[in-house]
Amino acid sequence: MISAYILITMQPGKTDKAIKEMRKIENLAKISIIAGEYDIVVRAQVKNLEELLDVTDKLQMIEGVSKTTTQIIEKEISLQ
Amino acid sequence: MIIRKKYLFYVLAITSSFIAAGVTAIDSFVGGQSAFKYDPWAFAFSIFFVGTIATFLISLVMSVKLKERSIGAKILDPSFKRIRLIQKSEIKFQLIAGLMNAINTVGYCAIVSAVQDPSVILSFSQVVILYLLLMESITEKDVPTLVEVQSSVIVTFGAILASISLTGEFKLIPILIVFIILNPTWAVFSIYQRKLKILRIHNKPNDAINIRFWNVAFSFLFTTILLFAYDVLSGSNHIVAGFTASISQYYFLIIAVNMSITFFAYVLYIRALGMGKASVNNAIRASTIIFAIPFSILLLQLGIITQFSTDPVMLIIKVIGMILIVLGIVSFALTVVKAYIFVTVKPGRPMRETMQKLWGIRGVTHVTITTGEYDFIVKVSTRTLMKGYERIIRKLDEIEEIKKYRWASVLKDWENI
Repeated sequence: MISAYILITMQPGKTDKAIKEMRKIENLAKISIIAGEYDIVVRAQVKNLEELLDVTDKLQMIEGVSKTTTQIIEKEISLQ
Repeated sequence: MIIRKKYLFYVLAITSSFIAAGVTAIDSFVGGQSAFKYDPWAFAFSIFFVGTIATFLISLVMSVKLKERSIGAKILDPSFKRIRLIQKSEIKFQLIAGLMNAINTVGYCAIVSAVQDPSVILSFSQVVILYLLLMESITEKDVPTLVEVQSSVIVTFGAILASISLTGEFKLIPILIVFIILNPTWAVFSIYQRKLKILRIHNKPNDAINIRFWNVAFSFLFTTILLFAYDVLSGSNHIVAGFTASISQYYFLIIAVNMSITFFAYVLYIRALGMGKASVNNAIRASTIIFAIPFSILLLQLGIITQFSTDPVMLIIKVIGMILIVLGIVSFALTVVKAYIFVTVKPGRPMRETMQKLWGIRGVTHVTITTGEYDFIVKVSTRTLMKGYERIIRKLDEIEEIKKYRWASVLKDWENI
């Protein structure tokens, strides 16, 4: 299993509609709207890199998404 | 389906509270029966003896597959596949949870046998939040904030007021049992159920149905051991009394129905525990008191409990208590600030050691080492932004390996459940 954070920069005013589209994508474990350098962070959980490519492709197809940065998780410690 | 995590969390916790209120009403009815009225020990034994059988049978039914997925996965917990043997990693947690549940149930049975109005019994149990906050500050490296303390105090005072029986009675012994036995054991029980739920079994999330089944089985084991020791020491024969009552068709049936309903309340509660802290979960469960009112009225209608006092002062006090409980819950739920911190470290610095330093900061809930633009993505959770600065940013500044970091507050989030 591969997990990755995908950091997304949006065009102004398109976030709400884009979130609706993102919620339909399988393999997304979490979507957060954030304030700062990026606008949205999503966490993808996929079986292999091929599937990760599918997810990033689908994200980039969404209207309003202007840039994605993928950060693959190599090691994780968490409370949950 | 990706939905807002907190909605599902509240739905699970509130549904569980509603069912729990109904179960308490049935418990009061069963506890008032001739076989158990003066023998809460036998009642506790029967609950787990019959409960183990009932829970096993329900878990078997839940394991039946319908179109590739089990019934349990469809209606209760998507992580559930089928009933399975206990795993090595679970044994320690189940032993502690089972022992706590056994002690808790014996205490609980003593109370329901003595007090018949469930809304009175349930109120003081809500003070468990105070115990949980204290324990979580130790186990989850999360010191309670002013808001948490305030909310807990509001809930506690609410519980005290709501616990006044409408008949005007105030019984000291049951309340002492709640404070000394019920609340501490429930707090430890909740924390270990949560530990079990967030455990991964064969690299997959643990499911609430197996956790519940094994918990009932272990609770039965410990109840039997405790009662056996008590019987030997005091020369009594509670186990025999409990067993005799359990095999009577009438008692078997009503306890089996009761434990079957309890099963659903617990499975939902355990699922909610996997999503939020035990203290917040129990704060929501305080709504049980409100749900207990219609059940109290039902018991009154059926003639099982005595007539309510019509004194309006009593009613007003009780309603104020309930409003305080709800207020406490709301302020608990609405005051969490979450953020991502994107961290870059200086070249050539050890990543694992830096990861441990980040993990050591209070309020940090996730630390991930990532490839790409940032070396670490850290998730933090804090009650206020000021605390975020004092407890997190200041500590980040002290980590010498960090070159730069960016804080990004979460404005809204959704989770795939």
